[in-house]
This record gives sequence, C-alpha cells and structure tokens, in this order.
Amino acid sequence: MEFGIDYLIAVAVSSMTSASILIIASLGLAIIFGLMGVINLAHGEFIMIGAYTALFASKVGIPFPVAVCFATLITALFGAVIERLIIRRLYGRILDTLLVTWGLSLVLYQSAVLLFGSVTPGIGMPLANVQIGNYTISAYLLFLIFVAFALSVVTYVLLTHTNYGIMARAAIQNREIAASLGIEAGRINTITFAYGAALAGFAGGILLPAVPATPNMGFAFVIKAFLAVVVAGPVALTGTVVAGGALGAIASATSSFWTTVAGDIFFFVATIVILRLFPQGISLRWRLKL
Amino acid sequence: MKQQILANKFQTHAYGRAGANAWWFMPTALTICLAATSFFLEPYMAHIATCWIIYGLLGLSLDLVWGRSGTLSLGQTALFGLGGYAGSIVAINFAHLTGNTLIWSVPVGAFVGALVAAGLGWFIFFGRMGPLQIAILTYTFTLILWTTSVSFSAKIGSAVVGGDNGMSNIPSLIIAFGENAQSLEPNDMFLVVLLISAGVYVSLRALMGSPFGLICDCIRLEPVKTELLGYDIRRYQTAVFIIGGSIAGIAGALYGGWANYLNPSIFSVQEALLVPIYVLVGGRGTLAGAFLGAVAVGGLSFWLGGGVIGSQTTIIMGICLILLVLFLKKGLLGAAIDVWWWLRHSRTSGEEQTSGSKDAVQIDSDLLDQFLLRNGKKQQGVLETKQASKKFGGVVAVDRVSQLFRPGQLRCLIGPNGAGKSTFLRCCTGTYKLDGGVIIFGGQDITTWEPFARVKAGIGIKMQLAQVFDEFDVRQNLWVAAYSRTKNRQSADQAADKMLAMLGMIRQQHNPASELSHGQQQWLDIGMVLCLSPTLILLDEPAAGMSVEEKRQLSQLVRTLAATASVVVVEHDMEFVRTLNAEVTVLHQGAVFAQGNIEDLRKDERILDIYLGRRKNVRDI
Repeated sequence: MEFGIDYLIAVAVSSMTSASILIIASLGLAIIFGLMGVINLAHGEFIMIGAYTALFASKVGIPFPVAVCFATLITALFGAVIERLIIRRLYGRILDTLLVTWGLSLVLYQSAVLLFGSVTPGIGMPLANVQIGNYTISAYLLFLIFVAFALSVVTYVLLTHTNYGIMARAAIQNREIAASLGIEAGRINTITFAYGAALAGFAGGILLPAVPATPNMGFAFVIKAFLAVVVAGPVALTGTVVAGGALGAIASATSSFWTTVAGDIFFFVATIVILRLFPQGISLRWRLKL
Repeated sequence: MKQQILANKFQTHAYGRAGANAWWFMPTALTICLAATSFFLEPYMAHIATCWIIYGLLGLSLDLVWGRSGTLSLGQTALFGLGGYAGSIVAINFAHLTGNTLIWSVPVGAFVGALVAAGLGWFIFFGRMGPLQIAILTYTFTLILWTTSVSFSAKIGSAVVGGDNGMSNIPSLIIAFGENAQSLEPNDMFLVVLLISAGVYVSLRALMGSPFGLICDCIRLEPVKTELLGYDIRRYQTAVFIIGGSIAGIAGALYGGWANYLNPSIFSVQEALLVPIYVLVGGRGTLAGAFLGAVAVGGLSFWLGGGVIGSQTTIIMGICLILLVLFLKKGLLGAAIDVWWWLRHSRTSGEEQTSGSKDAVQIDSDLLDQFLLRNGKKQQGVLETKQASKKFGGVVAVDRVSQLFRPGQLRCLIGPNGAGKSTFLRCCTGTYKLDGGVIIFGGQDITTWEPFARVKAGIGIKMQLAQVFDEFDVRQNLWVAAYSRTKNRQSADQAADKMLAMLGMIRQQHNPASELSHGQQQWLDIGMVLCLSPTLILLDEPAAGMSVEEKRQLSQLVRTLAATASVVVVEHDMEFVRTLNAEVTVLHQGAVFAQGNIEDLRKDERILDIYLGRRKNVRDI
C-alpha cells in the first residue's frame, strides 16, 4: 500500500478527531475525579443520557444546537439529583463511590435497553465534507477538534480564575476550613458534580452525529476515559487532556495502519506501561492548579 | 466503634491472645447438614444450588483479596473465566485417558488462575500502584478479555473455542475412573462441589488464622506501618492475590463442568459486578459471608424468575449494590456477628472493664540491651546522609542535608513547622526516595533500598502520629512487631510479654489499641519499634500527648536507649529537649541552620527569628 501525503494528512486529522472525541468524553470524569475525589463509573451512562436527550429533542424538530444545550441541562439536573441522593454520603471513600456508580451504571444501561431497545437510528452529519486529496473528512469532525480545545480552555479558566472554581477547589481540599470561611461545601459539591454531568451530557449531544446513541455507548467511551484520568493523576484536567489526547491520537493512528483491535490493544498496553512507570499518574510533579 | 472492634475479634487471631477458638466447628457442622440435604433435594434444585456454591467460591476469592488484605480487584471473573476455559480445554482433551474429569480440570484451573494472578499481582503490587489504579486496571483487564474473547476462535486439540459462540461439549464432573465412568447426577454433583468448596474454605481459614493472615490484616489496616515493621508487603499482597486467583480458577473449572458450556459473557461487566455484591451482601472480610451472599443473591434472582441473569435482574442487582454500600456496609453476616457480640458483651461487661490508666514504665537497661542485640551481638547503627535532597513539585523539603548519627550520641532535630524534619526522617526510612544525595547505613549505601529492607537492616521509626493497628489488642500489636524480627511464634510471645511488662501495660494487654489514649498509643508505638531491635531509632514527636510524668519517663528511656543505639528525636517541646541533654540540629526550610547544645542555641537570636517568623533572618536563607 502506498502512503501518499494526502493519506498521511487524512490519518493525522482523523487521529486528532479521535483524540478530541476522547477528550470531550473524558472532561466531565476528570472534573469530578480531580475536584471531588469521586470516580464516576456511570459517566458513560451520563453521556448516553445526553445522547438520547439530544436525539429525541432533534426528532421532535428542535434545531440541533438547541437540542445539545437541552441535553446538557437535563444531564446536569440528573447529576445534581444523583449527588444529593447518593454521592454526598460517600465523600472520601473513593472505592465505595466506584462501586456505587458501577451499580448506577448498570441500572441506567439496562433501563435504556428496556426503554429504547439495543439499536436506535443516528442522525446525519450537520456539516458538509472536506476534501483532502483522495480522502473526504466530515467538516463536523474537524469542528469537534475545535470543540475539544475550546471546552478544555473554558473549563480550566472557569475552575481556576472564577470565585466558584476557587471555592470548589477549597471545598474538596478541606471541608471544615472551607465551611468556616463561609463556603457552603455541600452546595458547591452539588454544583461541581452537576457541572461534570453537564459536560457528559454535552459530550453525548455534541458527539451524536459521530457516535450514535445506543445503550452500551457508555462502555465504549468510559474505559478509555477512565484510563486517561488514571494515567493523568493529580493534575486531573490538564493531565487528562494531555493523556487522553496523546493516547487517543496514537491509538487511532495505529488502528488506521493496522486494525481497530490493534489500536485498542495499543491503548491498553501503553496505559499499563505508563502506569508501571508512573504509578501515581504522569502529572504527579506538575505545578499546574488543575 | 467498640462494637466493630469486638466483632472483628471474632474473625482475627488467637496469636498474642489467650485461648484458642474452635472456628472450624461451625463450618464443619454446616457442611454436614448441607451434605445430608443432597440425598433428598429435588434434582433441579440441586443443579441450581450447585451453581450458587460455585459462585460462593468465586466470592471467597475476592473476599480474601479485598476483605482481608484490602485490595479491591474487579478482575476476579477474569481469573474465573480463564481458569474455566483452561481447565475445560484440558478436560476435553485428556479426560478420555482416565474417565475422571476433575483431576484434569480443577488443578489446571487453579494453576492458570494462580499464574495469571501472579503476573497481574507482580505488576500492580511491585509497581506500588494505589488502590484506585488497581481497581481500574483489574477492571480493564476483564474488559480486554471480554472484547478479545468475542473474536477469538481457535481449535486446541479436540476443544473448539468459538469466539462469541463459546465452547461447548465440556465434559461434566466425573469422579469415577475408567472407561465406563458416568457423569455425576445433579445431587451427587452438588455434594462433590460442596465438599470441594468446604475443603477450600477450611484450608483458607486455617491459613488466615496463621501469622500470615495476621500480617494480611495489618496490611489492610495500615499498609505503611506494616512495611515499617519490616514486612515486604508487596510479597504478601502478591501471595494473597495468587491464592485468590487459584480459588477463582478452581471455581471456573467447576463451573465449566457444571454448565458443559462456556462463552465470553463470563468476562462481561454484569458478571464482574456480581462478585463484589456477593461479598458485600455476606459481609466483607468474613470469608464465609461470600457463600451466604452468593446463595442470597442467587436465590433472589431465582425467585425473581430470571434464573441466571435476566434483564430486570441487572437493574435489581445494580440497586442492591448501591443500597448495600450506602446502608449495610457490613453485610448480613457482619451484622449478625455484631448483634451476637453485643449480646455476649452486654452480659459480661462488668468483668471485662479494665482501668484506663497505665502503670509506670519500668526501664531495665539489661532488658533493653537484650532487645537491642541483633543476632546475639551489638551492631553499629551508624547513619550518614550526604547532601540528601527531596523536592515536592517546586518545594525543596530537604535541602542538601549532611548528617552523621552514631550510637552513644543522642541527637535532637528541631525547627519550625514545615522545616523538613519529618520529611528528612521519612527519607531515612525510604518512605520517600531522595532526589539527590546518598544515605549510608552500617557501611552500606541504602539510598535506593525499599523501606522494609532498611527496617530489617536496623532502622526503626515512630512516625509523628502514633501508628497502631486499631482493631488489634495491645499485645497483638507488639507481637506482630516482634514476629517480624524473630519469625518464630514462641520468641515473639516472649518478646511481646517482656515489652508489655516494660511499658507497664500488662493490665491493658487485651484492650483494643483504638481505646488507648494518645499518650498510651505513643508508648505502644515506641514499644513496637523497640521490638524490632533497631540499631538506629528515629522518634518523631514522641512526647506529644504525654503527661509531665510520662515525659520524664520517656526522657529517661531515650537516654538509656542512646547508650546502645543511635537515637534521633524530633521534638517541638523545648523543655523535653532540654532534659535529653543532647546535641541539637536546627532545620530551616529543609537545610541545616545551626547545630550545638540547646543552651547555646537558645541564646541565638537568628533561631528565635525563624521560630517567630521575624523578618531579619527569614528572608536571606
């Protein structure tokens, strides 16, 4: 097989797209883990809720961008309810939150199977295609690269340069001291969890043209998203963007040259090797805030 | 809290406590009763119940790893499935040689489970991964198997592994030999599986009742402290993981023979979810609870009509897991044991109460010398650091510290909060690895040694917060420390008794360590360190929480110890430092700021400046 320059560019672009999709899907997980110390194994199902909401909203004629906002809002509300009912009883018990959200994940997955069946129709790409030599790439996928970048920057600024972000980080670092400074830790934590859920819902909506809504879409996303977050370590947000971006892009390139299975196996093996070298994550010694 | 400790006594050890308990009585009686039912159970019921017991065995493997040694593995079904596939493949190919299938499938299942667990265990424990990383990695491992096994087809001898179609024609359980050996009837299969499971359970209980089990409990309670007692926790954790893997493999092999068919759904998320549910329903850490949980969950889904895993069953299981973690943390058996202990304890509470105050410390320098002899002779616990440095991100916590600690020279480290005193001690014990510089102990370069190896070489540390094993009683705490050095039960008994007498804690020896006051926990921790026969003793704020009288006794003890061993004391209490009459080193911002005797240093304006945060000398350091 000849690798023309147009092929290499197409592979590079599709790798960046895959990486962007992974980053969009992982951000909410990274926020909830980084700010609250909670591993949300139901994150994939939060994405699924966003995807189905956006799907049904656009089915009834709501314009797609509005449908995405709607999906974000619904998932955020759902996240807030889950935080109030379940998560807030478990702060500081990381493995317990992992088990609880695992249970939640299966409940949501099975409910979706019962409600919607295991296959649902997708929606078309909203934007036209772009030609690179002999290869065509959807402009929407290129747009996702921009979305991933913008979403990461907005989230970083929101959590490091606003009052809310500073309070949120204070509330999780030391609940008592934050409370004695007049920060309502409980309310802040609900907002943070809802924000993480909103990111998941937004991901489900914005990715809908690329990733159709199915009950098991969560599993597909969430494994790589977890691994990105675990590889990232303590500086959760930046670390996840770097780890998810790099691992996603290289795995995608691998699967372009060989097979999808080879790409997946590469992802897992790379993760395991990195964790062996940096058991606490790659960002242990970084000096960023988040 | 008290109830919990009492309940835990039920499952912990006779070591370091008087009286053996007849723990094997209950499981034996129960096994006999269940075995008797196999003669009149309905065959269909017996068939279903066999599966519950097999799942109970799988749950047991997780309860060992998670409940006893504290590692949450979400990969037990992976080991179960691999053991099942391997055992069944061998049974398909070789069973015709003997007629019997069990002697092929079960050992192979156990071996493959153990082998894979050994590989995983080496990776996660020797890589020193945290609990979260371990949970995620084992979960990933299961999912990789799920995705690859769906597309994995191969023909191994006469066994056909058909990807998503699974592997059929797995021979049933046969225990007779010869060509005419018949498959077991459901009721006999129930009996055989029951007896195998009971055998595994009893062996495991016996193992966990030995010092090995005690050390596993230590690792669950305080992994860092356990390593600082000189135990290589990585080896213990890997060993436990391997034993768990072989139990899961045995369960998998039995499952293959029971179902006659295996497919990739054995690696699915739904299957993996059930294992922690069994453990949580039954009661984490109880071992027997795993079987109770498997029967309760199996019975529930049977009653719901799903048979195995129907569609609604997944939802109900998910909700069960959430409710269990939120509301019934100790499971059915755990709750039952609590109630039982509470009833028993409320009847006898009058006699068991012992006085809270501790007797005076009896310092016997001959006895101390005996403790500090290693292999019958005194060794030189000389520690030298050269340009030792440690950074955290951009903060230099220890900045090129060069110090020499020798026996006979008591040394105090002082300095304001954040001066790097505790960090420096942790660098000496290996809890933190140096970023630069060298540490030499007893003539050997130990810079890269793991903490347990340094402890074995003779470094003992009492950390800033007294670290004791809350659920153990006072004597068991000392016993575990002594056993680390002696590796002999009788010698450890003797050492623990002598140390109890010296600490003046004989009356409290059966009290849980969590009930001691802060000062008493300090004494207990110091006693544990002394049980290790250290030649270099590092004491981080030993006087915190002690009364004036206790401080006086401590000062005398420290000075006596310093005659034989190298002793370094970090302390904020200047009056206490003065009574030690030692050379004092002042640390400031990680570096050595001044050195000399306490009276001279007290006159030094610069030291007052750094303690009080006054401007003059703070900036230019």
